[in-house]
Amino acid sequence: MSAGALCIELRDLVIRYGDVVAVNGVSFDVDRGEHVTLLGPSGCGKTTTLRAIAGLEQPVAGTIAIDGQPMYDAGERRNVPTEQRGVSMVFQSYAVWPHMTVLGNVAYGLKVRKQSSADISAKVERALDLVQMRHLADRPASKLSGGQQQRVALARAIAFSPTVVLFDEPLSNLDAKLRAEMRLELRELQRQLGITSVYVTHDQEEALAISDRVIVMNVGAIEQIGTPEQIYNRPRNRFVADFVGSANLIRGRVREALAAPRTWEFVAEGGHVLQATAAHTLRGNETEVAVRTAYIEIGKANSVNQIPGTVRRRMFHGDFVQYVVDCPLGQMIVRHPPTNLVAEGDGVHLSFSPEHCVLLES
Amino acid sequence: MGSYRRRATLTATLVSWFGGALRPRFTWQGLITLAVLVVVAFLVLLPVVFLVEESLNIGDPMAFPPQEYGLANYVAMFEEDLQIIINTVVIAVAATVMAMLIGVTLAWILTRTNVPGREKLERLMELPYYMTPLVGALAWAVLASPRSGFFNQVWRWAGGTGDLFNIYSMFGIAWIMALFEGTVAFVMISAAMKSMDPALEESARVIGASKLRTALTVTLPLVMPGVLGATLFVFAEMLGSFAAALVIGIPARVYVITTAIWDSTLSYPPAYGRASAMGLALFVVMFAMLTFYRWMVGRGNFATITGKAFRPRLIDMGRLAWLLFAVCALYVLLAVVLPIAALLLTSLQRFATALLHQAQFTFANYELALALGPVRTALANSLLLGLGVASVGVIIMALLVWIIYRSQLVGRGGIEYLVMFPQAVPRLVFGLALLWAWLNMPIPIYGTLWLLALAYFTVMLPIGVRTLAGVVLQVDKSLEECARVCGAGWVYQLRTVTLPLLKPGVIAAWLLIFMACVRELGVSVFLMGPNAKVIAPSIVSAFASSGIELTAAMALIQTFTVVVALLILFRLTRGMTRELT
Amino acid sequence: MRVAVAAGIALLLAGLSSSVQAQGKVCDNPRPMPGFKTCANVEKAEAEGAFVLYSTDPEAGQVKLLAAFNKLFPKIKTSYVRLQAGALYAKVLSERQAKSYLVDVIQISDMGMILDFQKRGGFRQYVSPEMAAFKPEYKSQPEGYWTWGSIIMGGIAYNPNNVSAAEAPKKWEDLLDPKWTDAVNVKVSNSGLQHGIYYMLKPILGEEYFKKFATIKPRAFDSYVQQYGRLVDGQDKIIMGAQYSGYIEFKAKGAPLAFVFPETGVPAVSETYGIVADGPHPNAAELFMDWFLSPVGQQALSEALLLHSPRADVPAPAGSVPLQDMKLLVPADWNDFEKSRPEFAKEWDRIVGARR
Repeated sequence: MSAGALCIELRDLVIRYGDVVAVNGVSFDVDRGEHVTLLGPSGCGKTTTLRAIAGLEQPVAGTIAIDGQPMYDAGERRNVPTEQRGVSMVFQSYAVWPHMTVLGNVAYGLKVRKQSSADISAKVERALDLVQMRHLADRPASKLSGGQQQRVALARAIAFSPTVVLFDEPLSNLDAKLRAEMRLELRELQRQLGITSVYVTHDQEEALAISDRVIVMNVGAIEQIGTPEQIYNRPRNRFVADFVGSANLIRGRVREALAAPRTWEFVAEGGHVLQATAAHTLRGNETEVAVRTAYIEIGKANSVNQIPGTVRRRMFHGDFVQYVVDCPLGQMIVRHPPTNLVAEGDGVHLSFSPEHCVLLES
Repeated sequence: MGSYRRRATLTATLVSWFGGALRPRFTWQGLITLAVLVVVAFLVLLPVVFLVEESLNIGDPMAFPPQEYGLANYVAMFEEDLQIIINTVVIAVAATVMAMLIGVTLAWILTRTNVPGREKLERLMELPYYMTPLVGALAWAVLASPRSGFFNQVWRWAGGTGDLFNIYSMFGIAWIMALFEGTVAFVMISAAMKSMDPALEESARVIGASKLRTALTVTLPLVMPGVLGATLFVFAEMLGSFAAALVIGIPARVYVITTAIWDSTLSYPPAYGRASAMGLALFVVMFAMLTFYRWMVGRGNFATITGKAFRPRLIDMGRLAWLLFAVCALYVLLAVVLPIAALLLTSLQRFATALLHQAQFTFANYELALALGPVRTALANSLLLGLGVASVGVIIMALLVWIIYRSQLVGRGGIEYLVMFPQAVPRLVFGLALLWAWLNMPIPIYGTLWLLALAYFTVMLPIGVRTLAGVVLQVDKSLEECARVCGAGWVYQLRTVTLPLLKPGVIAAWLLIFMACVRELGVSVFLMGPNAKVIAPSIVSAFASSGIELTAAMALIQTFTVVVALLILFRLTRGMTRELT
Repeated sequence: MRVAVAAGIALLLAGLSSSVQAQGKVCDNPRPMPGFKTCANVEKAEAEGAFVLYSTDPEAGQVKLLAAFNKLFPKIKTSYVRLQAGALYAKVLSERQAKSYLVDVIQISDMGMILDFQKRGGFRQYVSPEMAAFKPEYKSQPEGYWTWGSIIMGGIAYNPNNVSAAEAPKKWEDLLDPKWTDAVNVKVSNSGLQHGIYYMLKPILGEEYFKKFATIKPRAFDSYVQQYGRLVDGQDKIIMGAQYSGYIEFKAKGAPLAFVFPETGVPAVSETYGIVADGPHPNAAELFMDWFLSPVGQQALSEALLLHSPRADVPAPAGSVPLQDMKLLVPADWNDFEKSRPEFAKEWDRIVGARR
């Protein structure tokens, strides 16, 4: 097995719950040491896919391979039981065992593998250190706060040095502040240990912040795979544009190609002409462009696309200000750092570059 | 790490060769589950089959197999025993009404108002259930029998004439049944009240509805399904009630179906055919009621999953709270304190004259009760059966629970149904069915403790499985999954995670089964033998042939045993959500 | 020649069969025991180690009786079942049908059932040396199947604290007085004594008697213990067909009771004992019968249950009227008695309100 080889490979995975198809032909790869996030709304099949990698769900078709070893293969009727797959998992509810101490929880995986007590102590200590829970090693697990339980679950997951760790929305039960902190710690830990991670979340901010790659899922299928920047800057379709980050969706039609590479002329419904770019090969039937609210500038004439408008509403969000602007393209939402505030009712000039006006697949 | 992975794939390959199916670890488990299924079906369904066959026997009642088949037994029920059926229905209805009144009142007081001492009172409310209607009937016979009952004596002493109460009446039977089975209604309705989101009431109050209006238009409709369901359940139980009708009904010349069944088998010649027909009719009605109840409550299974229990907003009753406390205390007085006191007094007398100035006090009854070989043996047998059936039963039931609620086995719904089936059969009828079945089966265990043990296990299945299921379902699946993900095989996971988490539930189930065995009457009356006596039927026997003083002593000894077990249970389950139904 | 072979085979079979078999006459050398003689094999009986009796007598009394036996033979553990006659017989028959042989000796207070059981081959014949002291009418013909263990009779009882001597009934007819409505108790139709009372009094007092008696609304109970108990605590005023031995028993304990022997006579029946065929402890059963039917055993019975013995050489229980001083009404034809049971049961159930 050479370094950089694929760690997890999913091909055409199909999972059913009764009559409902929860996962409909999902395929992706995860490289060794990569942090991949499955992102999507509830019911999109991301958790089901994750659990299938762990062996906790029974697919009906497709293959799953970990480290080159086939774990599930519908054709060959192979299904390696969970306990033999060697992956690790952090559950949404933490699943910390209340009848054991913190130590007992973290040492479990090592005990199962029948390692020596000296080994176990050393590894448990290391794991607890990594999550800063060493001082609570002897505390009964039933007496921990939510955040502490989360750390114990994490320590337990990494204690036996797995190559793959699966995360099932591990931060969703924490409050916003704690979530933000834990996010960073998780990322640090993952980098430090070089673990391959598959992470599930519905929080797009989280997904963008910590992932190497993001897989956006919807209704059992993959919408787009890419780095956070790719997903954010070049959303493929309406769903991705809408779900990740905040965007203005403008309807219209493509008119003609322009001189600059991958740039086209786009006529909005109101008649206003824009210059838009596309990441995909144009088919000609695209009817929408997406313009990220954060990429629209106010009062400057730097970019090609320029639109006059009136500020209808201004809302102060602390880290940014959001304006609702009436303009020939309809109502545009603009997000701006909280400086140089424009009053409601004032006229403004909005501008954005063609790179930030993305043609969406229909 | 690598060798571990290699070993895993090797195992997986081998397993897939043998397994074929994609869940290879179920092959040997499948065998166990099949075996369990067969045994449970045999225990539960076979006696009923025998009963059906015998009910159609219109020839020699003792012949097996029946020589003549026909419906004459059923017809005779309506021709000759119509009064008995009427009695049964009238008493059951009266008892249900009273029990529901008691249940609703107590439930409302203890879940919705700020009555002082709520937690303690709630626990006390469960006591009458464990005292058993048999002991209650005996006690109330002492308290309210005409002329000599305590109440009537006090009445006469206070200057009244005649009798204030006469327990030997249809109302008396219904009263005792309501008093001691009313706690079941209480528990069920409390559960219904607790499962209501208080926000629903609060939103009405915020809009401007008064307390009364909210109670009538929001609370009542929401609680109604639970209340109606409880009514059905309680009515079904009352139909099959035996102890009160036995102790009070027969001297009052009031026969109900259960006592008529019992009577039929204990006369010469024993009318097994008639008894079977009556028993089956009762069973069918009860079964229909319970099925209706299940449909109404809308649950998929009998095991009550303790779903999210809300904290209902307590109504401040001000000074009325003490009045409500008195109401609860009155119930405890009538159902627990007075009966025990009456029995205690009686058991210490030489002659239960109950005319206190004539009384001669002695401990002789207790000496006799504890020294009497048969009583001692009966108590010892009951304890032995309790220990044995509880211990073995809990293990088997845990397996059943796992099969029903955690496995992927096809037809596990059928197993659940089978296991809950004995609940729909009145105990007495099931006892009769077992008697008839085992009289005629080639295995000679009739009249031995083994048959009693089998019978107890069968009738305790619903209680045990329900309790264990409640606990199992509370154990979050992810706790077990996590163990598997950490690499634990099925057995290791069971041993280190599942079983330790189930321990309090297992102990609770053990205690419940133990107590139920020690109290058991309906099945035991039919299956006892000279060397297989148990305590509750012995108390009944003593009531007939040994005088009330000795009977009272025996009843108190039995109650004491059960209460000790109960106290241990309370200790262990403090804080654990648990429902009787 | 063939006859000889057949006889030889019969003897061989007889020899091969169980060591205890139907015995048509008393054994040659009865073994003397303290107070009685026995044909039983005492060592085998003690080796069997247990003895089971089914009887209609109240539990406390059975315990005392069996304790007396156990005192002589500590190695033989005794156990019993107490049920009223009909219930007891039903149980015995059911068990035999199930091939469950749990009982060694039964006592039933209804001769009809005894005769029925004999017809079914339920008794094992064993002639005890003590049976010689019993009159022919007190035992089976041929002897050894069943024997009367005691004679019980029913009169009228009341509590003098609640019923003055003046108003107390003196004759059976007095019980028809409406003032006794709801205040009389009797035994259930299962009872042998009650059957005897009905059977004997009906021809004497006339068809109408029991029809009128039904209007008194008597309450039926399973045992005289309940009946006398209710007399003592005042729930009932009169017992019709009160078992005399119960009266003696309660009186001895200090209960306020009075007993009336109506001039017409007191109906009497027997409590009959017999060894059950295929019982689990045959030798112990024989030992028990020998002891029980002897003066020692009969005395023990008298002390335990205050019952009158059929034996002439056993005195009446302390404080009671001896048999010869009573006018006993005993059924002459037991077969007829047996046939009358179903009709009695139905009629009696109607009188006591047991069924519609």
